[in-house]
Amino acid sequence: MTAYFAAAAVLLAGLAPLIVFSVRASPPDGLVALNLGGTIATLVLMLLAEATQRQPFFDLAVVSAVLSFAGGLAYARFLERWL
Amino acid sequence: MTAAIVWALLVLGVAAPLLGVVGVLVGADVYDRLHFIGPGSIFGPAALALAIVIDEGPFSQAGLKSIVVAVLLLGLSPVLVSATARAAYVRERGSLALPSTPAETPPE
Repeated sequence: MTAYFAAAAVLLAGLAPLIVFSVRASPPDGLVALNLGGTIATLVLMLLAEATQRQPFFDLAVVSAVLSFAGGLAYARFLERWL
Repeated sequence: MTAAIVWALLVLGVAAPLLGVVGVLVGADVYDRLHFIGPGSIFGPAALALAIVIDEGPFSQAGLKSIVVAVLLLGLSPVLVSATARAAYVRERGSLALPSTPAETPPE
């Protein structure tokens, strides 16, 4: 169980540079960081669900995987012309 | 033995997205950076889901849902990369049209 907590902590630390990058970079570059950040956040939720042995928490990871995709698509659509 | 395999999969599953983070940070332009989303969205979810399946069994709730998450990320991430590249291209050039090439001159 400790291994899953450690893996989640390391992945969570990887989110910090992406957040800083997405704030400072140009909008298209920020969107790339957002896409990878959504994937990493989903993996962190999955690892935390396994680490805490709370099976329903896996639903959060499933929802996060779908919503980060939908959010990324919406940003990409607006980025084409309006942002 | 099983614990060692799970550890190895966890290391792979964490290393792949982190390498993607490094790639996104040092990439030259947006198209270059988009390549680095791939390893994090393919090897990361697959390795972590496999680790959970080995630990919990493939037909447990955790195993099944981790497989669902991995399949979702594997399937949706390329679509998102493609949409992002399209958006960056249209933003840069104004449309999806390819740059016009000069007409070929007939051989004399």
